[in-house]
Amino acid sequence: MAEAIIMPKYEMSQEIGTIVEWAKQEGDPVKKGEIILVVETDKVTMDVECPATGIIAGMRGEPGEQIPVTEIIGYVLQPGEELPAAKTSEAKQQAPAEESKGSEATPVAKRMAEEAGLDVAAIQGTGPGGKVTKTDVENALVGEEKAPAGIEETGKVRATPAARRIARENEIDLSNVAGSGPRDRVQAADVLHAAAAAPAPVRAVRQAGEAIPFTGMRKKIADRMQASYQTAPHVYMTIKADMSIFQDFRSRLNARADKEGTAHFSATALLVKAVSWALLRNPILNSALSGDSIKMQAETNIGVAVALDEGLIVPVVRNVEQLGLAEIAETVNDVVQRARKNALTPAEVAGGTFTISNLGTFGIEQFTAIINPGQTAILAVGAIQEEVVPDGDGDIDIVPMMRMTLGLDHRVADGASGARFMADLRDALQEPELMLW
Amino acid sequence: MRELTFLEAIREAMVQEMRRDERVFFIGEDIGTYGGAFGVSFGMIDEFGPERVIDTPISELGIAGAITGAAMTGMRPIGEIMFMDFMTLASDQLVNQAAKLRFMFGGTNKVPFVMRSPIGSGAGAAAQHSQSLENWYVHIPGLKVVMPTTPYDAKGLLIASIRDDNPVIFFEPKLLYKKAKGPVPEEPYEIPLGVADVKREGKDLSIVATGMMVPRSLEAAEILAEEGIDVEVVDPRTLRPLDEEAIVKTVMKTGKMLIVHEACKTGGYGGELAAVIAESQAFDYLDAPIVRLAGKDIPIPYNRILEANAVPQVPDIVAEARKLAKGKV
Amino acid sequence: MAIDKKTRIEWLRQMYTARAFEEMAEKLYALGKIHGTMHLSMGMEASAVGTIAAIEKGDYILGTHRGHSQLVAYGADLNRMMAEFMGKATGYCRGRGGSMHIADVPGGYLGAQGIVAGNIPLAVGVGLTIRNTKSGKICLCFFGDGATNEGAFHESLNMAAIWKLPVVFVCENNQYGMSMNIQDAMAIDKISDRAAAYGMPGVTVDGNDVMAVYEAVAEAVKRARAGEGPSLVENDTYRWRGHSKSDANRYRTKEEIAEWMEKDPIARFQEQLIKEGALTQKEVDNIEANAQAAIDEAVKYADESPEPDVSTIYEGVYAE
Repeated sequence: MAEAIIMPKYEMSQEIGTIVEWAKQEGDPVKKGEIILVVETDKVTMDVECPATGIIAGMRGEPGEQIPVTEIIGYVLQPGEELPAAKTSEAKQQAPAEESKGSEATPVAKRMAEEAGLDVAAIQGTGPGGKVTKTDVENALVGEEKAPAGIEETGKVRATPAARRIARENEIDLSNVAGSGPRDRVQAADVLHAAAAAPAPVRAVRQAGEAIPFTGMRKKIADRMQASYQTAPHVYMTIKADMSIFQDFRSRLNARADKEGTAHFSATALLVKAVSWALLRNPILNSALSGDSIKMQAETNIGVAVALDEGLIVPVVRNVEQLGLAEIAETVNDVVQRARKNALTPAEVAGGTFTISNLGTFGIEQFTAIINPGQTAILAVGAIQEEVVPDGDGDIDIVPMMRMTLGLDHRVADGASGARFMADLRDALQEPELMLW
Repeated sequence: MRELTFLEAIREAMVQEMRRDERVFFIGEDIGTYGGAFGVSFGMIDEFGPERVIDTPISELGIAGAITGAAMTGMRPIGEIMFMDFMTLASDQLVNQAAKLRFMFGGTNKVPFVMRSPIGSGAGAAAQHSQSLENWYVHIPGLKVVMPTTPYDAKGLLIASIRDDNPVIFFEPKLLYKKAKGPVPEEPYEIPLGVADVKREGKDLSIVATGMMVPRSLEAAEILAEEGIDVEVVDPRTLRPLDEEAIVKTVMKTGKMLIVHEACKTGGYGGELAAVIAESQAFDYLDAPIVRLAGKDIPIPYNRILEANAVPQVPDIVAEARKLAKGKV
Repeated sequence: MAIDKKTRIEWLRQMYTARAFEEMAEKLYALGKIHGTMHLSMGMEASAVGTIAAIEKGDYILGTHRGHSQLVAYGADLNRMMAEFMGKATGYCRGRGGSMHIADVPGGYLGAQGIVAGNIPLAVGVGLTIRNTKSGKICLCFFGDGATNEGAFHESLNMAAIWKLPVVFVCENNQYGMSMNIQDAMAIDKISDRAAAYGMPGVTVDGNDVMAVYEAVAEAVKRARAGEGPSLVENDTYRWRGHSKSDANRYRTKEEIAEWMEKDPIARFQEQLIKEGALTQKEVDNIEANAQAAIDEAVKYADESPEPDVSTIYEGVYAE
């Protein structure tokens, strides 16, 4: 008569035992009272004694596996006996294939489903081999429990009070926000996400006569702008670049990024690299005037200006000359996103050696920027626009053109240095392979 | 600091107050030589004698009437009902007399007493010895209702209740008597009634729990911490009057509220808490529905597994809190 | 027991005042000046007066819902009584209690009672206070025949007896609970028979004979003050009016009511006093007129008193 070996219960409130290790192997002879297994509960580790003398068979449970108490984990058979058919999990595993979908579930998942009145077989399993896990049951439960009560909904946006408040405070239209909660409910995080992703925030028209305090960040920027403007004699020069090759280059990079699941390449990120390359060839523009010496910077730490409501913030991508394009792309995406949420650390806005300011997204064709104090130059980038250009054969081409305007400190560099830098930059954008030079 | 069990802390509160104020006496069934059904009053009759530690016949209505009549006439008695289920027998005296005499008589008198009683399931005592009917008494104006969950809270709250000039119903989760142990100052001290306690600070969600559900929620919080979910656990301690400000504050902080109590869900204290939040300034900060995890709407069964299943256990709290924290509710 | 003339005349005066109060209350209710419900004790004056005559000022009294006569005998301020009746702010309970909950706790009258037998367990508590503070006081606990069938009666008498508390339990047996005749409501003959079940003396007296009531209660009070424990005194009496205002008296006959009205406690006592030569008819008429005047005065006072201020509605729910 086959004697069942069960997962023992040691405490009143114990529901599962964890297999630590089997002291026997399938088919070994065993004696009654012999230790065949070590199990663990929340509190203790216990030796399990064999309930009978015979051959141990039908063993189930790997080390680390949790099994509900009182479940059968093996048998002691007499010579010549067969394993009782319907009861072991091995029998289950031998069940015909069409039954096996859903019958595979972790013990915890099975118990949870049973308790909730769900059919485990009907739940999609995401565990190894399609096994139904606890999370699968939880997700199924969420779907089950939140089935609508049958009351007709009015079509208003489903959103939590917190989400509504944040939307109100940030003047975001809830109907434009994707909800991540049950039944597509908009939760606070969704609104915050939408607020961060928004392009340069559209501010409500200020009421006429409203007095905005001239303090904090605004004042600080003002002071710096004034100092720079008044101290450094700015010289400006503009060059335009044909961006057709650059755009193609960028899309090919992004196709690769899709395949590899890595960060997308923004135009800014690629521009950062191009600028760094051009600076290395024209180091005087990557310098800092301090007192009576001009410090030639060893690294190119490129700042990318990001517009906020309260003013400008310039996160810095450090050591661009040492970074590959993918890394720059990831870094730029990250710091820009965090810059918009005002979540940058002080370290991240310090130590820049050159700054790029891009008003292209607003449609600005070209503009002049004020040099960041402590730096020697600043690049103002305009929009890429289709322009008609002569093709040299008496005909015309339509070309995506981008205008960049360099502002440089004439105390440190002269026009020619600037011109050479801009030419290099244009070349890098028009022939991206040059960046490997 | 020395540690006392929940039971010892309660005894010490009574003993110290009876030493300090001769108007305080203690009356109940089997509290004298027997020392109380749970052992709370062991030794007290030896110190105070049978006129101040009074054993009664089995007469819950009589006990409640006795403390009411004595309180009306200048004494400050402590009564004990052996299991709070038996308070049903004392209803008229507690509800129609004690709670109302001051108001009905125009405020010229007061009824200062404490009625202590063990509450809750888990001892295998079955349906008539395991209930949590605290919300019945929360509903009665004129009564105060207190439910401590730690030895420190028990002593401080009981002393404050004895010194309070109103009839106070003092519920003691019976599973805590010997299981809960903690530091308790030797000298008498009061914890004011109507003040909640943040038992654990956190930022991802607020659990507001009462009675046995407080230690269970704290256990659940430790488990969840390992998953990176940071739970704040708030214990109201006094159910009436409720420290509304504390409850509102925690929900404003986390935006998510899980109420856990042992009493049956329907008509339970959780409904009161949920409505308080819904009506408060915390409403605008709710980022998920308010969830009540409570006892099933059944009498408490005898079978141990069924009994455990009848009320929230640690895994239940963990599962609900996790769902709530992850925005899945 | 020899009681001096002055005292007995005072008893008569109290009974007349109680009667006048009840008649006025009835009239005011009919006029709509008193709302809710009311329980009149006309015909039961001797039970209240004789009982309370046996205690001293400072002793405690726990009244019933049919307690107007008890209050008069206690010496309550008629103005404040009437004002409370009308729910005015100047009433004993600031208008919050009404007829069934009039109380003067500081003076020792621990309230009328809206729950039948609700006050009997309170007597146990009061007894414990007296015992533990050794104040030498006693506690009178009034209740009706119907109350003796409530569990509270049994628990309380038992507890008072085992601890020998200084309580006198006074049952005003007016033959009916609400509509149920007491003989149908219990299987024993007399309510005082129940005293034996709890180990205390019990006695039934003619509740309409103020002197008999006084003597029985005085005996019980003496026992109590001597530390010998509680007693049960049953005053056999009758209420002329229905249980409450909405009672159509369908459960008893006009003949029965008429029969009892013949045994009017006031008429009997006054006849006795006149026969003795303690009072003349003219003096009796004066007493009656003065009682009426005092009641009229009280009505005027109550009429002119203000309603309670709604903004004070939470006052008195909790003690600060």
